[in-house]
Amino acid sequence: MITPRQRAVVEFVLDNLVWFILAFVLAIFSLAIPNFAQPGIFINIIEQSTFVGVMAIGLAIVIIAGNMDLSVESVAGLTAMITGILFCSRGIGIGLTMTPEWLVLPVSLGIALMVGGIIGSINGWLVVKLKMSAFIVTLASYIWVRGMVDAISGGRSAQDLTPALRIMGIETFLSIPLIAWVAILCFVVFTFIMAKTPFGRHITMIGGNPVASFRAGIKVDRLIIITFILSGAIAGVAGWLLAIRTSGATANLGIGMLFRAFAAVVIGGVSLKGGIGQLPGVYAGVLLLSTIQTAMNVMALPVHYTQMILGALVLAALLLDTVKLAIRQKLA
Amino acid sequence: MTEALLKLENIARNFGAIQALRGVDLEVGRGEVVALLGDNGAGKSTLVKIIAGGLQPSSGRMIFEGMERSFASPAEAKAAGIETVYQDLSLCTNVDVVANFFMGREIVKKYFGIPVLQEAAMYSAVEKAMANAGTRIPSLRTNVEHLSGGQRQAIELNRFVHWGGKLVLLDEPFAALGVEQTRRGLDTVRRIADQGIGVVIITHIMAQAFQVADRIVVIRQGVVAGNVRAAETSPDEVVRMITGEALRSPAQETRLNGRSP
Ligand SMILES: Nc1ncnc2c1ncn2[C@@H]1O[C@H](COP(=O)(O)OP(=O)(O)OP(=O)(O)O)[C@@H](O)[C@H]1O
Ligand SMILES: [Mg+2]
Repeated sequence: MITPRQRAVVEFVLDNLVWFILAFVLAIFSLAIPNFAQPGIFINIIEQSTFVGVMAIGLAIVIIAGNMDLSVESVAGLTAMITGILFCSRGIGIGLTMTPEWLVLPVSLGIALMVGGIIGSINGWLVVKLKMSAFIVTLASYIWVRGMVDAISGGRSAQDLTPALRIMGIETFLSIPLIAWVAILCFVVFTFIMAKTPFGRHITMIGGNPVASFRAGIKVDRLIIITFILSGAIAGVAGWLLAIRTSGATANLGIGMLFRAFAAVVIGGVSLKGGIGQLPGVYAGVLLLSTIQTAMNVMALPVHYTQMILGALVLAALLLDTVKLAIRQKLA
Repeated sequence: MTEALLKLENIARNFGAIQALRGVDLEVGRGEVVALLGDNGAGKSTLVKIIAGGLQPSSGRMIFEGMERSFASPAEAKAAGIETVYQDLSLCTNVDVVANFFMGREIVKKYFGIPVLQEAAMYSAVEKAMANAGTRIPSLRTNVEHLSGGQRQAIELNRFVHWGGKLVLLDEPFAALGVEQTRRGLDTVRRIADQGIGVVIITHIMAQAFQVADRIVVIRQGVVAGNVRAAETSPDEVVRMITGEALRSPAQETRLNGRSP
């Protein structure tokens, strides 16, 4: 038998496991890899975590609610392309400008949020109203939305983003780029929403037991649709940031991000079973992935190794999920 | 007894050709525990589902708190203060006791229009409700998945009382529980009733019925085959009502036995 005290400790470690792993990995790399332990590298890790990080927030919320959203990567690709086409001056960009100039910032962000939100609402509607499997619905969106990117771009790219937007990717605050701050801000805001508001509480309870939530008068269907809309809109922001960072968009921008976002979510302690997980853990998961990626860059490992290690990490993450569930069940 | 909390008059229900209930009369008072007994397929669950709004009667009247009511759904019955407590089905095991207690009715305070959960207020409310019912749970902050079946039931019952429940229906609530947990469950039921709540409990276990019930009602083939105060009957007599062996009182029986040589 274990005492409540011991249980609390084990629970705490399980809840924050990924932060411990991150600290451990950072320490190992700093000791083992020459030139790793320097501010530039750490800032690079944070900056790299921006896009997958933002995308992972929406994905995590949908998974906590007990569903799945595979479309986030393509949604980001689409909003990046739309941002690129509208606000780039070369390639397929039409070079839209506004007066005052800074107006493009909220307008482009608003468009990205709206496009993502619309695709999310289609996903949510199909899942809730037509009772289709979220996996299949969002897999289909993953495919058709990427198809749409190809269609509107004709396979070509947009370059030279308007400076008013570019500035977000260049300017820094406390030597961290503004776009990385956007990601951090997103994490703070959504962590608060998930942990401190009835909305977040209800999402978590729906992921744990939708029937009980429904009986308690929680509007389950409505909330599930909202999670999909949120996920789409947040993926839209990820695409917007991606366009800013690349100063444009290509038809295959963002490909491969889904698996990293997915890995980060699972590594971050979100259970695919639903109802379990916290957003700070997800951010740690993203940071962990970027750390490993950066270390491999520093060591100049060939790209195919990166692929293999990421693949192994996804598997390891799923295994970890199972192991944690088993430990929790033992505790019970 | 003053006016009954719930009064059923001539309730009937058929499923196609099957007559599950054929004219049931039943009264449940405030603070009264009524045990429903009867053989498999007697119609107990059907009756309880009708009371809880999960099924509609084919005919008959239902009077709750002096008013004729007909519930189109469990949600309507719940709004009136009638609820079935199922083990587990109404709890989210992935969150703590407090969160479950306030599920869907959280205490919030608005800051700039944003509702923020008031954890401390909710915690003390749950603490108080649990203390009133004499339910002890190691920590209200543990996730419900770590609690026993009996503790879960106690949480549901306390939650029900806290939110103004008036009549609780329990369909074989202790079927999955061990001896000790069942004993505590029965205790909880008693305490709930002592707070003025009406309780209808279906059970197949005679001892449980006698332990907790004020009145024992036996359903047999869709009709009430016996309705006696628990203190004035015996397990043997109840068994006879269930099997339909004799629909006469023990007094009659002794007389009969006395006459035959
Ligand atoms: N949805 C239904 N459709 C058709 N017949 C039903 C339905 N529900 C119950 N019945 C029938 O009604 C009768 C009464 O069933 P009920 O479930 O109320 O019995 P019970 O007393 O709860 O039995 P048990 O002790 O086995 O739980 C049975 O003959 C059953 O087969
Ligand atoms: Mg039954």
